[in-house]
Amino acid sequence: MILSESARVTTAHEASFRIQYPNSKPRAVKVIALDAGSAKLVDEIAKLNWHGAAFFTSLSFDAGSAPGGTDGKTLKAWLNDLAGRTMDLVSEVAGADCVVVVATAGKDVQSAAVIAEVCTLHHKTLIALVVPEDNAPDDQIDVSLRALRPYAKMLVIAHGRDYIEAMLTALRA
Amino acid sequence: MLKKEQNELVTQTGPGTPMGDLFRSYWQPILISSELPENDCPPVRVKVLSERLVAFRDSEGKLGLIDEFCAHRGVSLWFGRNEECGLRCPYHGWKFDTTGQCVEVPSEPAESGYAAKIKLKSYPLIEKGGILWTYMGPAESQPTLPEWEFTNVPLENIFVSKRLQENNWLQAMEGGIDSSHVSFLHRGDLNNDPLFKGAAGNKYNLADSKPVFEVVEHPGGLYIGARRNAEDGKYYWRITPWVMPSFTMVPPRGDHPIHGHFWVPIDDESCTAWSFDYHPVRPLHAEERIAMQNGKGIHVKYVPGTFRPLANKDNDYLIDREAQKAGRTFSGVEGIGMQDASLQESMGPICDRTKENLVGTDNGIIMARHRLMRAAKALREKGTLPPGRESEHQKIRSAAVILPPDQPYKDAAREALIAKPGTPQTTV
Ligand code: FES
Ligand SMILES: [Fe+2]
Repeated sequence: MILSESARVTTAHEASFRIQYPNSKPRAVKVIALDAGSAKLVDEIAKLNWHGAAFFTSLSFDAGSAPGGTDGKTLKAWLNDLAGRTMDLVSEVAGADCVVVVATAGKDVQSAAVIAEVCTLHHKTLIALVVPEDNAPDDQIDVSLRALRPYAKMLVIAHGRDYIEAMLTALRA
Repeated sequence: MLKKEQNELVTQTGPGTPMGDLFRSYWQPILISSELPENDCPPVRVKVLSERLVAFRDSEGKLGLIDEFCAHRGVSLWFGRNEECGLRCPYHGWKFDTTGQCVEVPSEPAESGYAAKIKLKSYPLIEKGGILWTYMGPAESQPTLPEWEFTNVPLENIFVSKRLQENNWLQAMEGGIDSSHVSFLHRGDLNNDPLFKGAAGNKYNLADSKPVFEVVEHPGGLYIGARRNAEDGKYYWRITPWVMPSFTMVPPRGDHPIHGHFWVPIDDESCTAWSFDYHPVRPLHAEERIAMQNGKGIHVKYVPGTFRPLANKDNDYLIDREAQKAGRTFSGVEGIGMQDASLQESMGPICDRTKENLVGTDNGIIMARHRLMRAAKALREKGTLPPGRESEHQKIRSAAVILPPDQPYKDAAREALIAKPGTPQTTV
C-alpha cells in the first residue's frame, strides 16, 4: 500500500526534520504594575532573565490629560522603570509588541485607561492580569475586572507570582 | 512556549512519570459500554496511559481489566475464551478472573495451590453513563465515582462516541480550550451542521472573529470566557470549563444538546478523543441521534469496525481543496471533529512547544499547562492529590449568555455553570 503524504510525514522520525531556524524575532513586552502591591511582584519578576521585556512600576500623568481625555498624541504620561528612570509612556507603548498590566484585585486601576488609550492609538494588544491578595473577597476581583474589561483583549485572574512568570515565559518575553 | 523539559513533563504519561501519576489520580473513560455488550462476550484490548490491558465482562456480568498477557508464556489474552467466570488463555488453558487472579493451571494438580500464587495486575472497572471507567492509581486514594452531569442523566438523553487520535493527548486537549479557533476552522459548519445550526448565538460568532477573553480559575480547573459583541452594547459570552486533567465542555448553542470531551492518553503518541452529547432535561430526538451516529457535530464517521475516523491520515483526511477555496470548509476537511483532529495530528506525534509563538489570547492554554505542571509536581513532591477529583469539581456545565458589559461572567453566570439535575442548560 502506498502511504499518503499525511501518513508519511506525521511520524516521530519525520518530526525530527522540522527545520531548526528561528521562526520569530524577539518581541518587546512591556509589563506595567498599576499599584503598589503589583509593583512589588513586578519588581521581583523583573530580576529574572528575560529577553528584552521591560518592567515598569508606576505611572504618572498630567492633570490635563487624564483618562478619557484628549487625543493620545498630546497625552503626557510617564512610567518609572526599576532603575528609577522616568520613561515616556507613549514611546514605550509605541515600541511594544504587547503590553501587560498587572493589578492587585480591588486596587485603583485608573491608569489602565490611560495605558489602554495609548495602546489603542498604536494598535497594541493589552493583556491585563488581576492578582488577588490572599483571601481577597470576590467583590474586589469584580471591581478590577469591571474596570479593566473595556480595555483588555485578555483578562486573567492570576493567583500569585508564579503564573505571571509562566505567562511571560510562554510569551517569550 | 515551553522549555523542552516542561514539554516532556506535560506530554509523558507512562507508568512512573509525574503526569502519568496525575492521570492515575482520576477515573478515566476507556470503553463504551457496548464494547462489552453482554456476559461472556469477546474480550477487548485496551491500551491506556502506555499500559496494555484486556477488558472483559464475565459470566456473572462482573467487569475485569487486567494485564493483557498471560502469566504463563505471554500470549495475549485477547484470544482468550471468556467462559465460566474467567478468561482462559487458549494456549495451555490457564484461567484468570476479573481481578487478575489465576484460578486454574490445568497442568498442575488443583490441590497444589499453584494457581493461587499467580495473579495478573488488574484495575477496577466500573460502568456509568454508558461508559466503562477505570482507576489506575493507588487503592488508598481512589476517588468517588465520576459525577459528570452526563453520567447522571437517563441514557436516552446521552450519546457518547470515541475516536482514535494519532497524536499526544495535550495538543488535542489544548484545542478544546482554544475558543479562538472556532471562528476560523469551524466557520463553515456553524450554520450547516444539524447539531449547531439555527442557534441565535451563531451570528455573534460569525460576525465577530476577534473575541476578547477572560480566564478565571475555579477549584477544579478553569473557566475560559470568550466575549463577542451582541446588540445594544451587550456581550455574548461563551464559557468553556476545563477540569483537570482533560475534561472540557463546549458552550451550548440554542436548544441543541450540549457536548464536551475527554482526552485520554493511549500512549505518548496517541490518545482517545471522547465526545459526549447530552441534553440535561430531555431525551435526544431521533434525528439528533442519527446525526451523531452519522458523524455530525463533534462526532465522526469511522472506518467500519474500528474507532479510527474514516477520514484519517492515510487518505489525507479526504481533503477537498475545492470546498476550501469555495469557503464551504475553512481547511478543506469535512466535519468539526476531523477539522480539529487533522490539524492536531499534523503537529506531529508530540508537538514541539519550544518552537511555538503564543499570543495573549492563548492564556487559557498557558494557564492550563501551568496548573497541570503545578499539580503534577505537588503530587510527586508532596503527595498532594490534584484538583478535579471531587464531585463538586465535576458537576459543572458550559454556558452561553448575553450580559450587560459591567457584569463579570463568573458571577452573572455562576448558577449557569453548575450542573443542576432537571434544569436546562443556559444558552443562546
Ligand atoms: S494559525 Fe494557529 S497554528 Fe497556525
Ligand atoms: Fe475545534
